[in-house]
Amino acid sequence: MSLEKLTIKVNGTGRTVLVEAHETLASVLRNRLGLTGTKIGCDQGACGCCTVIADGLAVLSCLAPALRFEGAEITTIERLREGESLHTLQQKFVEKGATQCGFCTPGMVMTALQFAEQNPSANREAIRNALSGNLCRCTGYKKIVDAVADYIHVVQSQTGPPSNHHIGHPRPYLEAERKVSGAALYADDIPVNHALYCKFVRSIHPHARIVSIDLSEALTAEGVRYIATGEELPEKFGVLPISQDQTAMAIGKTRFNGEIVAAVAAETEAQAEQACRLVKVVYEPLEPFFEIDDALADAGTREKIHAHVRFNNNVHKKAELRFGNQQEGLERSYARARGSFEFAGLSHGFTEPHASIAHWDENGLTMVSATQVPHYLHRSLAKVLGVPLHRVRVVKPTVGGGFGGKSDPFAHELIIAHLSRKTGRPVRVCLSREEVFLVNHGRHPSKMTVEMGVSDDGRFEVLDADIAIDGGAYGSFGVVTSYYNGVLLQAPYKLDNFGFRTYRVYTNKPVSGAMRGHGAVNSRFAVETLIDELAERIGMDPCELRMRNFLDAHTLTVGQYRITSNGSRESLEAVMEASSWKQRRHQMPANRGLGAGCGFFISGSALPIIWNELPQSVVHLKLDFDGRVLVTSGASDIGQGSDTMLAMVVAETLGLPLENICVVAADTLLTPVDMGSYSSRVTFMAGNAALDAAKRLSSLLLEAVAAKTASAPEELQLEGGRIFRTDRSIDLSWQEAVDILTAGRGAVSVSGKYISPKLGGDFKGAGAGLSPSYSFGACVAEVEVDPETGQVQVCEVWGAHDCGKAINPLAVEGQLEGSWHMGMGQALTEQLRYFNGLQVNSSFLDYKIPTALDTPDFHTHIVETDDPEGPFGAKECGEGALHPVLPAIANAIYHATGVRIRRLPIDPEVILTGMAEIKLKEQSVHAN
Amino acid sequence: MQTDMDTNKQYLRPRTVEEALQMASGCTSPFKFIAGGTDLMVHMKQGNASTASLIDISGLQELKQIDLEPNGVLRIGSLASLESIAQNALVRKHFPVLAEAIETVASPVLRKSATIGGNLLCENRCSFYDQSEWWRQAVGYCLKCNGDTCIATGGKKNCYSKFSSDLAVVLISLDANVTGTGELFSKGIPLENIYTGDGVHPRKVRDGILLLSVELAVDRKFRSAYHKLRPRRSMDFSSLTSAVSIDAQGEINIVLGGVDPMPVVARGNIQQCDELAVRAYKRSRVVDNDHYSRSYRKRMISVFVKRSFEQLGIEQDAPQS
Repeated sequence: MSLEKLTIKVNGTGRTVLVEAHETLASVLRNRLGLTGTKIGCDQGACGCCTVIADGLAVLSCLAPALRFEGAEITTIERLREGESLHTLQQKFVEKGATQCGFCTPGMVMTALQFAEQNPSANREAIRNALSGNLCRCTGYKKIVDAVADYIHVVQSQTGPPSNHHIGHPRPYLEAERKVSGAALYADDIPVNHALYCKFVRSIHPHARIVSIDLSEALTAEGVRYIATGEELPEKFGVLPISQDQTAMAIGKTRFNGEIVAAVAAETEAQAEQACRLVKVVYEPLEPFFEIDDALADAGTREKIHAHVRFNNNVHKKAELRFGNQQEGLERSYARARGSFEFAGLSHGFTEPHASIAHWDENGLTMVSATQVPHYLHRSLAKVLGVPLHRVRVVKPTVGGGFGGKSDPFAHELIIAHLSRKTGRPVRVCLSREEVFLVNHGRHPSKMTVEMGVSDDGRFEVLDADIAIDGGAYGSFGVVTSYYNGVLLQAPYKLDNFGFRTYRVYTNKPVSGAMRGHGAVNSRFAVETLIDELAERIGMDPCELRMRNFLDAHTLTVGQYRITSNGSRESLEAVMEASSWKQRRHQMPANRGLGAGCGFFISGSALPIIWNELPQSVVHLKLDFDGRVLVTSGASDIGQGSDTMLAMVVAETLGLPLENICVVAADTLLTPVDMGSYSSRVTFMAGNAALDAAKRLSSLLLEAVAAKTASAPEELQLEGGRIFRTDRSIDLSWQEAVDILTAGRGAVSVSGKYISPKLGGDFKGAGAGLSPSYSFGACVAEVEVDPETGQVQVCEVWGAHDCGKAINPLAVEGQLEGSWHMGMGQALTEQLRYFNGLQVNSSFLDYKIPTALDTPDFHTHIVETDDPEGPFGAKECGEGALHPVLPAIANAIYHATGVRIRRLPIDPEVILTGMAEIKLKEQSVHAN
Repeated sequence: MQTDMDTNKQYLRPRTVEEALQMASGCTSPFKFIAGGTDLMVHMKQGNASTASLIDISGLQELKQIDLEPNGVLRIGSLASLESIAQNALVRKHFPVLAEAIETVASPVLRKSATIGGNLLCENRCSFYDQSEWWRQAVGYCLKCNGDTCIATGGKKNCYSKFSSDLAVVLISLDANVTGTGELFSKGIPLENIYTGDGVHPRKVRDGILLLSVELAVDRKFRSAYHKLRPRRSMDFSSLTSAVSIDAQGEINIVLGGVDPMPVVARGNIQQCDELAVRAYKRSRVVDNDHYSRSYRKRMISVFVKRSFEQLGIEQDAPQS
């Protein structure tokens, strides 16, 4: 291919590069100039991550042909920083917590910068409009709008002197500056010499036998170094030991449209892609199973998706638990509500596509990957590639969001490790947005019938749920999801008669897995909707009904979950008060409604996925002569702020400023095992391990100082960067104390750990949903429904969440607001649509993540209950907050229109039909 | 399988219309004009469009002007960016509905690059067409991808890809003309005449023809109402766009987009407004190729037209005196 010369001025420097004729500006900046601050999230102009400024105009560089810019001046995120200091706008993003995973940040900053220059008096709505082409999946936009508004209106920063007290003080992420300046390296940003590129041949059938694969032509194509097919990696894998049902590439047959059939490693991405087109696969289509009911039924003469399932159907897992007596509960109920619900599948929608790099050297395999669970990836790589655990290293770089979508070991990771071994070269892969959708592992499409009963004085008598979830082609986390759909209904309300049954089925669709709020979001929606109905039937305010039934703190649920701290009441009270629930609920204007919902979630699964006796988390601290404390932890910061949390916990315990702390995390060679960033476990478990380690280090230090100063350790205190006795007869600086500790011994290392207490009953299934603590929360939503179009506008959301103690309130708010944004998306617009098992909307244009304009300014309330076992009283805040917002919106729609929502996402047509039916009924009542 | 197209790709940057046309006629292999590129580049990436030469017309300053000519014609150069049109004082004064409509197109950042010419010529859309090469192979190629049946309708022999230019809908309601370089366009023709109604080839503008400008008559004194149906308040293409304009003489134009392979136009006098509304509704060949269902989009046509009438003070179902 002939190349053309392009001369541009980039960030003030003249550059001449050779480019392909139709190459995009994004590609030139990233691949030819190494300016990887410019991100590619969708490659079709629908996410804004690639925004740069060209001759004063914000452009989406993924859609702009580079040669257009001959002679032009291009400004990328890398330019903004002014020497030592950040640009003021970047500084605002840092301060306001407007960057979480950081992947959308460069594009967001560039868009905002140009807008701010041209609109020096813009209000929040105008800012939201300006940013409405830039998707953010983490923040819910509020903090981004805060940052831009403060920048535009020149609001001075209020920063006090650096403090040695950290817990409960809002602070930006440690790495926020790196993220806002475009310097953070995500997997696809990392330069690797002499690397090959990997592309995949994907099945074009949902269910088919692979008759033959002809590689001959592809193997001779230019640049091709290796092509792998399924038989080369026959070892099965899966995140759960009980569902090892997937191979890295299809062997013998394919089970979903998009499953990897072959993988090409070539010198360039284009060459790999071209070779994929030359691979000739002959398929013999089999009858597919797409729907839950079809997969539940007897398969007849049709070939099952998996031969290993027990009966002649496609049921992957049946989970059932019953407590008390549901029949009696129903009979005793004064009023009952029963409803059948349906939920579409969802994508996590993280902005950074999956990307990984593999290489082998004298230390074996190194895998750099955008993953939430280095530990499980470590194990899977060893298993599938047949190498000992001690020859595998997994490194997590900066990760651009996960939400559960990067918490399985993935085929592409296993495949490039194999290709790298075969070729002796580093191999890298970055999935297209469409491929990210195909990998899926998102929320299960679900159907369920749920029934509840209540006494005349408003006590819940019974809850019974019959659930079926669509797992797609493979297991993933599905067994856990099956249980969570049921078991996570046993709180936040007291229930004596509680039971559920869940079926998870295999279908010929992309795999469903774990997504934020794992397993419990859909069934929570059903329950909170039914509670609204029950309240109406017994003539009680729905919030009052909830208040009457909340479990107390320090109690057991019917399924023997140990509830410790419990902020249900405080949460619901907070949102009722903030929304003026009592005053306003009965005087809403027409077509406007208020609705409420509650929820709870685990704060870390008490049991590891793979049964073993390791602690859930280990944190090491190393203190050397320089006085810096190195924190090493296997926990994965994916944008939720866990590195910062670790540093704050350690700094607080040692009475140090944060600048003395350095966190190295998620590198399986250097850092002790943490199970990973899933089940909302990191703050509780890694936080406790860090606290344990810091206390040990503190003891060592105090003992050393005590010995040296002839005092007793318990007389000494560590605070404000000093070690002193209350009477100040001993008063040493940190560095002086460190000199004493390290004298004659050198660097000191300590290890802290967290092991969950033994919890739960001794019945089968008792382990599901066990957690050392649970979070609680509530939302009130206000909506306006257009009675002619059925369109719903969420006007306000008041949310409250009991996180025990907000170690970093800025990060906690960010987690809550991001959760509500995601929940709102599921309620209103997001769904994975299929046509014959083929995803129809696998792009950011067609998968409808709410934009900044669609998202209200959330009213955020942090509730603190001081958990007895959480680090400094803290528990989770990253997932549980999502649950209440969906039913709050649906209940508000009911309040506005009288139409009950039984299907998500909410279809405006259903609202219209419902409203018409109500009108008809009213008319007939009048007529009579 | 490297084709000539891959190896002989070129990127040309003419400075004048004349030079652009010369470059086009000098091309021996396929070429395309590219303006903002916000539609074309996506189609190229998806393999729905391919070309050896891109002739970048974004530098043709002569086509970026917005002028009110002495004869009362507002002439908008085809390469004026959507943002510049929406901010233009003449446009905001005489045709505020055009600015209103622009603010519903794509996203603010895209509107800085996207041009009005590109918007009028943007490709029709369909859930079964706007997909990757792999996807279209997996689904089995529809009519618009050289296949032999329409998948959206379950086997019809016509393509019903939806017309997706919101601005064409507004401009047709304002009786806009367009001028272009080919014989067909050189004298200016009504905008609606460039659309064919064939979802596979929805426009009469062949390669090598450049759209030069859009013309609007100021003295018609149109009052207009505009509505767009889409799941999100930004970014999304239309599921239904309606523009209803009425001039000082009571001539009324109802135009719909997103519900047929071409803009659906019903023209007449204010006296006939009910009949026109029915006509527009009946002419819309809506199929299930969008985020919203066919039935919902159909239903919304009536709602949008009714709302437009209300906004314009037109009384439906009432005899005009």
